[in-house]
Amino acid sequence: MTEESSRTRRRFLKLASASLGGVVGAVLAIPLLESVVTPALRGRKSHFSRLARLGDLPTGSPVDRTFADRVSDAFIQETVLRDVWVVKHGPSNVDVFSPICPHLGCRFDWHSGRNQFLCPCHGSVFSMVGEVVGGPAPRPLDTLSTRIEGDEIFVEWERFKVGISEKVAV
Amino acid sequence: MFARLRRWIEERWPLSAVLRLGLDEDIPGGASIAYSLGSATLLVFLLQLLTGVWQLFYYVPTVDHAYDSLDYLRTSVPFGWLIHGLHYWGANAMVILAALHMARVFIWGAYKRPREMTWLLGVALLIMTMGMSFTGAPLPWDERGYWAAEVGTSIAGTVPVVGNAVMEILRGGASMGQLTLSRFFVLHVALIPGAIVLLIVLHIIAFRRFGSVGPWKEEKRIRSGPFWPDQAFRDVIVGMALFLILVALVTYAPPPFAGPADPVDSSFTPKPEWNFLFLYQALKLFKGPLEPVGTVGIPTLSVLILVLIPFLDRREERNPARRPAASTLGALGAGAVVLFTVFGYFSHPGGGSGAAASAGPPTGSVAGLSASARRGRRLFRSLGCTGCHAIGGSGGSVGPDLTNEARQNRSRAWLLEQLDDPRSHDTASVMPSFASLATGEKNALVDYLMSLGADSLPGVVSDSSRGPGAPGAAVGASGDSAVSAPGSRLGPPGPAASMIGNVRHGGDLFAGTCRSCHGEAGEGGVRNPGSADGTVPALDPIDPMLADADPRVFAGNIDRFIQHGSTPTGPAPSLSMQAFGDSHTLTQEEIANIEAYVLSLNGVDRASLEHPGMKPEAFLLLLIVVLALAGVGMGGVWLRYRGTE
Repeated sequence: MTEESSRTRRRFLKLASASLGGVVGAVLAIPLLESVVTPALRGRKSHFSRLARLGDLPTGSPVDRTFADRVSDAFIQETVLRDVWVVKHGPSNVDVFSPICPHLGCRFDWHSGRNQFLCPCHGSVFSMVGEVVGGPAPRPLDTLSTRIEGDEIFVEWERFKVGISEKVAV
Repeated sequence: MFARLRRWIEERWPLSAVLRLGLDEDIPGGASIAYSLGSATLLVFLLQLLTGVWQLFYYVPTVDHAYDSLDYLRTSVPFGWLIHGLHYWGANAMVILAALHMARVFIWGAYKRPREMTWLLGVALLIMTMGMSFTGAPLPWDERGYWAAEVGTSIAGTVPVVGNAVMEILRGGASMGQLTLSRFFVLHVALIPGAIVLLIVLHIIAFRRFGSVGPWKEEKRIRSGPFWPDQAFRDVIVGMALFLILVALVTYAPPPFAGPADPVDSSFTPKPEWNFLFLYQALKLFKGPLEPVGTVGIPTLSVLILVLIPFLDRREERNPARRPAASTLGALGAGAVVLFTVFGYFSHPGGGSGAAASAGPPTGSVAGLSASARRGRRLFRSLGCTGCHAIGGSGGSVGPDLTNEARQNRSRAWLLEQLDDPRSHDTASVMPSFASLATGEKNALVDYLMSLGADSLPGVVSDSSRGPGAPGAAVGASGDSAVSAPGSRLGPPGPAASMIGNVRHGGDLFAGTCRSCHGEAGEGGVRNPGSADGTVPALDPIDPMLADADPRVFAGNIDRFIQHGSTPTGPAPSLSMQAFGDSHTLTQEEIANIEAYVLSLNGVDRASLEHPGMKPEAFLLLLIVVLALAGVGMGGVWLRYRGTE
């Protein structure tokens, strides 16, 4: 092998080593990057929990209902008990209110004598359909998304910012 | 641009000198693929570092989340399957490559003066690699890893005098638990890798000091070639081939989902990782008081021999043909390791009385039972009799308690008739007929039944390592308080619903716990008088309302039944589903395994990839195409280079 051809061969080997090494590195880099980037950009997945049987709900009278909400945070699964106010207006016309007052986050209660929801903290008053009747509440009661399947009603638990006039999910 | 950048760095940091130290070396005899083993081991170690660190984005080293976090990475994170799979197969490859590298160095006689330090540092690296293998296995906190650590630490416990202290220090206490996992985690991700990096640097410095040893034949040593690029190019090609093989292994032989670790599981048979099988097999040769010879003596002697090799074999001769003693001993040593590994692979644990066999869950004593009664005892379990009958306080309550069956004064003929036609003695009996059993099997069962309570013989349950709160009961009578009332709502899914169980293990558990009611492989058909359907529901195929293509939804649906039980509709069902979870009859891990099995009966893989990023086969194909294109491209460049000469 001449000096020249040996030099050419080594120039090629240097280029080939760097290029092929780079190709393998790139093929490996894509999965590594995707494994940390894509999951972070996934949107929140909504999930509904079974709340009650429609037939079990009284019409025209709000009831406080507890349900098991299966919370999934990556690989940690938990079942959390939550409660909501359910108002059935008709056979398939149901409002589900978050139990948290939109004023400053206290838990309000139903006052059957006055036929109104009352917040004990600052005196906000809401009608059966959630409208502000009195007090400092800046917006109506927060309704939660519901889905009716057959005789059962499902609810999606959410929390909203308090103290502002718009309903904004936290 | 690059030249300016390089100059800028050069003025501030000795880049060229460092590169020269790493790359400038003349190899006597020129470059060779045989010399790539060391570089290949290093490349795989770098891959292990990368994939290991990447797993830490998701892995959590706690006993309650380790298994789930790793399964989340493997099934729900894009390319998580690839990252974990590469780490798993890379670990195996690293052990093999390090051993092959060492064998090559031995054959070439490259441990001889003045390269003793390189050899000794290599021995230390091999030990550290084995340490990584040992400490890495339990981190998934699955059945395999858990029991490998249980057995491994127990072996350390057999060391005379200090053994118990060593075992407890390794475990962080007397028994396996969170502190064990934390210790193995710290060793695996910080201390040992740190030591390996340091040793690699020292190993390479020692290697560069005297360079490659080259061929032993003088005529082959006349020409020489530089490490960069001659050897480096070969190393890159070997590295590429290795990467391709690893990805192919991940694609076609992915690491198993062994099921979550279950410390009370008596059915799992522990066996060490393949690279410790030779030690495990060697241990079996030493029984009783000689046990420490196997547990301490053999590993110590092996390391001692490796350390002493360069000092025992001090002649300059490197040609293996002219080193008969070294070559023979080397071949014998390697042969023994390979042979013991193969024997260990095919051996059944429990065959020896060594620590490996005794450290696992107790398999129970059957002393005092005749061979036929022992066979009957096995049949009693495998036929699922424990589903309905309790022995020694454990088992189902549908049928009579058989703890003291021998004292019932029942004749052999009576028992045989009961097996053939249960309704001959009680017309309301729901016990299925076992007339289809062979006569020998029926006799074996009767022998076993007639031994129960005859004296203090161990019963079926006494051979189990379950705690008192976890008997192997299967079905409860309809009056069982744990069974929910007809029409009552099932509670939410339990922890098992989110665990990925092991199908095979689930099948075993199913056979012992569920088969008596749901039929062989869940095919149903078992009578349930008084229920609306008249039979217990089949699980293959399962009620379409419960099945779902999403394994998590499917598992969640059936989990509610297994956790909380249910009572069939009908006037007075004889059989009801017991609340296996609520009553702690089954552990959550066992329930997860059974769920994986039931899903598999219905064609759903509990461990299916939810967010694969790219399917394994597609990624492998892409890799092959990219490498082929790169090869063709390089071929084209080579032709152009040749043209310019």
